[in-house]
Amino acid sequence: MATRTQERRLAFLATALPPIAWVVVFFLAPLAIVWAYSFGQNAGLTEVDISGTFANYTRALQPLYLGIFAKSIFVAGLTTLLCLIIGFPVALSIVFASEKWRAWMLLLIMLPFWTNLLIRTYALIAVLRTEGYVNFTLEWLWDNASWFMTLVGLQPLGDFTPLQLLYSNFAVVVGLVYVHLPFMVLPLYAALDRLDRSLIEASLDLGAGHLRTLWSIVVPLALPGIISGIIITFVPALGAYLTPDLLGGPDSQMIANVIERQFKKANDWPFGAALSFLLMYATFAAIALRAYYSRGSAAPGHGI
Amino acid sequence: MTDQPAKSITKPTSRRSILKGLGAAAIGISFVGKKSSAWAAEEPKLNFYNWDTYIGETTLETFKKASGIDVNMSLFATNDELFAKLRAGNPGFDVIVPGSEFVERMIQANLLEPLDHAKIPNIKNIAPEFMTDAPFDPGRKYSLPYTWLVIGIGYRKSKVKSTPDSWKVLFDSDEYKGRIAVMSDASELFRNCFKYLGGSINSDDPELLKKAEAMLIKQKPNIKAFHEDNGQDLLLSGEVVVVQEYNGDIAQIMTEDEDINFIVPKEGAMKQQDTLAIPKGAPHPENAHKFINYIFEPEVGAEITKTILYPSPNAAAVALMPDSYKNNPVVFPPADLMAKCEYPRYLGPEFTRLLDEAMTRLRAD
Amino acid sequence: MAQRRAPLEYNRMWQMRLWLFGVFFFLYAPLVALVAFSFNNSKRNTVWRGFTFDYYVKLFNDQDLLIAFANSLTIALLATLISLVIGALAAVLLWRYRFIGRTVVEGTFMLPLVVPEICMGVAMLLFFTRVLPWPNDLPWPLSLGSIIIAHVSFCFPFVALVVGARLASFNKEQDEAARDLGANDWQAFRDVLLPHIKPALIAGGLLAFTLSLDDFVITFFTSGPDTITFPVKVYSMLRFSVTPEVNAASTMLILLTIVLMILMMVMQSRGQKKG
Repeated sequence: MATRTQERRLAFLATALPPIAWVVVFFLAPLAIVWAYSFGQNAGLTEVDISGTFANYTRALQPLYLGIFAKSIFVAGLTTLLCLIIGFPVALSIVFASEKWRAWMLLLIMLPFWTNLLIRTYALIAVLRTEGYVNFTLEWLWDNASWFMTLVGLQPLGDFTPLQLLYSNFAVVVGLVYVHLPFMVLPLYAALDRLDRSLIEASLDLGAGHLRTLWSIVVPLALPGIISGIIITFVPALGAYLTPDLLGGPDSQMIANVIERQFKKANDWPFGAALSFLLMYATFAAIALRAYYSRGSAAPGHGI
Repeated sequence: MTDQPAKSITKPTSRRSILKGLGAAAIGISFVGKKSSAWAAEEPKLNFYNWDTYIGETTLETFKKASGIDVNMSLFATNDELFAKLRAGNPGFDVIVPGSEFVERMIQANLLEPLDHAKIPNIKNIAPEFMTDAPFDPGRKYSLPYTWLVIGIGYRKSKVKSTPDSWKVLFDSDEYKGRIAVMSDASELFRNCFKYLGGSINSDDPELLKKAEAMLIKQKPNIKAFHEDNGQDLLLSGEVVVVQEYNGDIAQIMTEDEDINFIVPKEGAMKQQDTLAIPKGAPHPENAHKFINYIFEPEVGAEITKTILYPSPNAAAVALMPDSYKNNPVVFPPADLMAKCEYPRYLGPEFTRLLDEAMTRLRAD
Repeated sequence: MAQRRAPLEYNRMWQMRLWLFGVFFFLYAPLVALVAFSFNNSKRNTVWRGFTFDYYVKLFNDQDLLIAFANSLTIALLATLISLVIGALAAVLLWRYRFIGRTVVEGTFMLPLVVPEICMGVAMLLFFTRVLPWPNDLPWPLSLGSIIIAHVSFCFPFVALVVGARLASFNKEQDEAARDLGANDWQAFRDVLLPHIKPALIAGGLLAFTLSLDDFVITFFTSGPDTITFPVKVYSMLRFSVTPEVNAASTMLILLTIVLMILMMVMQSRGQKKG
């Protein structure tokens, strides 16, 4: 019969081996190949020669590509901010809803999330385009206002010019917020759910207004959840490709679009690999920064 | 069969060796015979990698009835997808539909199987100019034309002040500010600019590219969208008034909206072919040849053309089409304009990189 | 004076209600329009031309789309099952044991979350063609293996996160107590931990299922002639001829989602009644 320690060790291995083996073989190994490619160059049309060159990275750090990186970070950041502002009250509302309502609301928030990304983005096109629903509604309102004004004896309004909403940076941000909002609400909800409500009540009893309570009590306590939500929203938004591709205008390209072009039209896989890895390094840096930051402030915020 | 009676007299042992040789030859022949009959008896399947809605509605079924071969059609959306899929090794496709420029690339990259014209007797149905005028595949050793296309300007008749018969409308003028869409593919966009600037589709002059890039950057505020193959939808839904598109795509939407028309600009434009080819490593090359031959049957070609409405190089099929198709100036633009159009050649990796960087700079501004 | 609202009843505030209404309208209006236009009697999707069921008929006769759909569901199901196992093990590993290199392992498990999809897609393509060629004529569903493996790789960290969060609220001493009292590690896992993390497993499983069903980029790079999936098929339909058939297909998908969610809720409430 195996000894206790031996049995424990066996259990440990049984738990550790499957996930670690999987990650190494089916994740790290493929990535390592791409990493190797980033130091290669095209040899003929289909072969890549891993020559240990840094040429791809040098090219990727040119102002042209750095500018695109910066723009992508800005768009992703804006999206995250908007999702946070829009999603926070929603999460709050779900947390404080009655049991029966809560389940329904979570369901309703998750449902769009389950619809295919392509289809959701395509649905937005029908909303935003020149003959889309927004313009349709606006035109109806405009015409009725015009009619009303003639009724009252004033000059009618001029012809309605539809808003050019689609194929612009605006559409891209709307699309990204639309797609990522549920991503933000869930972690916020999870964090707010664990909150001790008596603290909020105490704060309100002591005379602080709602907003002050929110800002000074709720947000700091829910901070880990907020940060999770931010990361879960920011990272995919940064690497978004379909949304800027389908909704974007002439100047809406993000870094993922450029990378995709390298692997497709430009047929320059080593350069695409280099760009992808730069993107990853940047993301790692941001996450590491956050981990370092939160480790420093871990003590005070921990479970009251 | 050589007759060597003299040898058998002079060298007694040679008869044994001749017999040995014959025996070996006999075994060898039967061996080869077995192999080739095994090839001929491929399983009745075919993997067809095609564009979406780029085949007749019943073509695959009628092919199965006629030959017993089951066709499994997968879809790709751009030539780059096709190339990306194949460059790492053929995952099992038998027949593919690459554009003409990609045929050249694939030939250079050694990705295509040569076609055995003897197995495709229906080649006779193809209009002769398509067999001879194919600089990207001389002698049509690796590909046969499936459809052909030309890029031009689609426009909405009621919203344009005059027929937009020059590239200037799209590339160099603010007449239709905010209601212009151009193609997002670097090659298709810039090379047509070359035509406007007086050059050739196949010019590899970096200076000309710089000029085109500067012109487009100046024009960008007037451009609403860089579309990727859905320009005709933009035109139909009223998002734009003039669009750079393929004549086939515009012909398709003209059946739904009579206010739309198409013209090849007077400076000339890029023409293209979508072709049928067999990639290297295809598991069913015999079936592939049979399928390609079937597609060039007149009735089959006509049925395909009825569905996709693109210009067809299959003269026998075109003869079976109604007049509304045969005489449609959008589907078959006037010869004098077509004479100014050229097929795009593959200009090498360096120029491809320059094109892509120009596009990145254009989009980044 | 108006009836004094209890301090935490945010949902009674009209601002909150307006906000909620706005958000849900924003989320749902495009989808409702999408469903409505699936009944549009026009080959193109841009203008309303009359009511018809034609495109639903076309949908159910469209072999390619149905096969693609079946493929996507199968992949999602299998990938979810495997992700649950691997993700749960990963979470338990990090929670229960202390060992050298623990931080590194933890970081590695979370890596798939930050890698751009396109990078992973290409990596998988290279891997399955150059390193571990996946045979082309395996019977279904084994032929979907390369896609399933790719999906598991990016789904299991989500499961691990959700389960890990649940474990963090679990009292480790209970687990140790069980083990001290003579249960071996496996029994402790099965009888003590597993019931506790069950809600997290369900949540994580749903998350993994969604991510797998929705994925386009990674699937595209790992699929071959016999393994076309729903998003890839829809993308090529979007690129070419957008007929209301796409809307009809999406409507069916949404219906399926609703059914699944109701099922899940029924199961959950039943589980709660038991416990």
